[in-house]
Amino acid sequence: MPSTQTPPIAGSAIDPPSLRPAIDDAVIERVAPSELRARLESLKRDGYAMLLDLGAVDYLQRSPRFDVVYHLLKLAPKRAGVKEIGAPARLRVLCGVEENERLPSVMDLWRSADWAEREVYDLFGLVFEGHADLRRIQMPHDWEGHPLRKDYPMRGPARERSPRPAFANKSNVVAGTPPSGRTLEALQEQVKRARES
Amino acid sequence: MTTPAMPAPEIVSQSGNTMVLSMGPQHPSTHGVLQIVLEIDGESVVKAEPEIGYLHTGIEKTAEGLFWTQAQTVIERMDYLAPSSNALCYSLAVEKLLGITDRIPPRAQVIRVLEMELTRIASHCVWLGTHAIDLGAISVFFYCFDLRENILDLQEANGGARMHPNYMRVGGLNGDLPDGYLSKLDALIEKFPRRLRELRGLLQANPIFQDRTIDVGVLSPEDAVQWNVTGPSLRASGIAYDVRKAFPYSGYETYDFDIPARNEGDAYARFLVRLDEMEQSMRIVRQARQRLNTPGPVMIDDPKVALPPKETIALSMEALIHHFKLISEGFRVPPGDVYQSIESPRGELAYYIVSNGENRPYRVRTRPPSMYNLQALKGIAPGNLIADLVVMIGSLDPVFGEVDR
Repeated sequence: MPSTQTPPIAGSAIDPPSLRPAIDDAVIERVAPSELRARLESLKRDGYAMLLDLGAVDYLQRSPRFDVVYHLLKLAPKRAGVKEIGAPARLRVLCGVEENERLPSVMDLWRSADWAEREVYDLFGLVFEGHADLRRIQMPHDWEGHPLRKDYPMRGPARERSPRPAFANKSNVVAGTPPSGRTLEALQEQVKRARES
Repeated sequence: MTTPAMPAPEIVSQSGNTMVLSMGPQHPSTHGVLQIVLEIDGESVVKAEPEIGYLHTGIEKTAEGLFWTQAQTVIERMDYLAPSSNALCYSLAVEKLLGITDRIPPRAQVIRVLEMELTRIASHCVWLGTHAIDLGAISVFFYCFDLRENILDLQEANGGARMHPNYMRVGGLNGDLPDGYLSKLDALIEKFPRRLRELRGLLQANPIFQDRTIDVGVLSPEDAVQWNVTGPSLRASGIAYDVRKAFPYSGYETYDFDIPARNEGDAYARFLVRLDEMEQSMRIVRQARQRLNTPGPVMIDDPKVALPPKETIALSMEALIHHFKLISEGFRVPPGDVYQSIESPRGELAYYIVSNGENRPYRVRTRPPSMYNLQALKGIAPGNLIADLVVMIGSLDPVFGEVDR
């Protein structure tokens, strides 16, 4: 259930990657979860040696609900100068997953996927099958819920307002600020003088 | 779903002679709040498992509830040693989504490059100072912070704050350089070469420093790519991958500079690469300084994104309406997703931003270079002494605002 504190989510079936304008930041590919592992393995064989990033997005009202996003870089793992490297190819693999669906871990292909997958698990609650050590990474280990999901509230329940301390209530003091030294004596003196007059 | 508990940080005897020891999160050499659960055999490390998350502040979640412009303010807090690099990367990404990348005024681009390179020098100064302190060379710290202070003065002059200037804007910059900025910059350019020579003189040929860093924490090119290490640490392993050359942004392709790289892949090589990088950054700063002589606008001329000039608000109804709309509900960004990366002092910093057409980002995913670089510690620590672990952490240069976000 979306929290009232979450900003409204426009549109019913949103899928911004399908609407995107032409931006040449990467080649984009969409893969089904069942084919993900095979596709990534073949990409690694093709020279995509670096898994630049692994993240996720929650499209609450869409089916499949989540997108897991892999960014790959075609960089040969050997000594190379600036010229040899040039502008390496960058590839984005999007994979739509349902809430309880499991994705294969790619930790054995790219060791850097270890923490990235743990983070997706921690903040989105997606489980990676075959990850050796899948536990929370950013949140405390006994935390409940997955904060980056869209139905997770932005802030906690409003706290009760604490009562004002008695000394802060000005109603028992006559109006007007004492000229200097807001001491108890000065205030009492002022009250006494006001009563006498 | 139950979550497996964290490994117990108490001393537990493991198989045979090893024991488990927790280093941090208050250890002075961990540069922030890093805990490393070590399995040690005598004094050598069998397994090192960094535990991060102590500084998690939910910046990505917070950004989802803020306007596009407001989100930049919290995003700038990620890498607190190079705040402008976060702001620039975010701005570039949003500009791509808005389709205004080609319309950023040239002067704004020059100042952005200038700011980025000054930030890089300032960030490397902090790294060098703290790295040297870890190894027992205390005076280096003061030399570094003196140099950094000059750069922070410049940041304060143009942004208004020393640490988080918040000077970048989607569409350009917050304002032009103030009076007197250029003379301060000239003084810094004048002072820098001597200062860098002094820093080199203090450490580069220092036998104690060399003993502690040479052949320590060696990352082979294969391992570096496998662990997704970028930035100076990758270049010290022989792969000269730099986003400024591979995917130029803000006009970096028009500047003349080299990418320092070394083949050894040890902590000493990372030290040398960063020092050379500071020199190259100053080279870019000098070129940018030449280009600053041409005046011009520093903000895009588009009332849907940029605030109208203050003096027009009292005169033009339209300007007043634009001002009101931008302040009260921000601008909207067309739906789509974008991956924008820049070369931050720590490596490839990138934002994967998704917009659903609203006035707030739908999702801001950071590719934190520090986090991936720090993760490589798991690969290079085993087999080394605990004392060398301190050198390795220092040479990978993690910033925990960014690792934990």
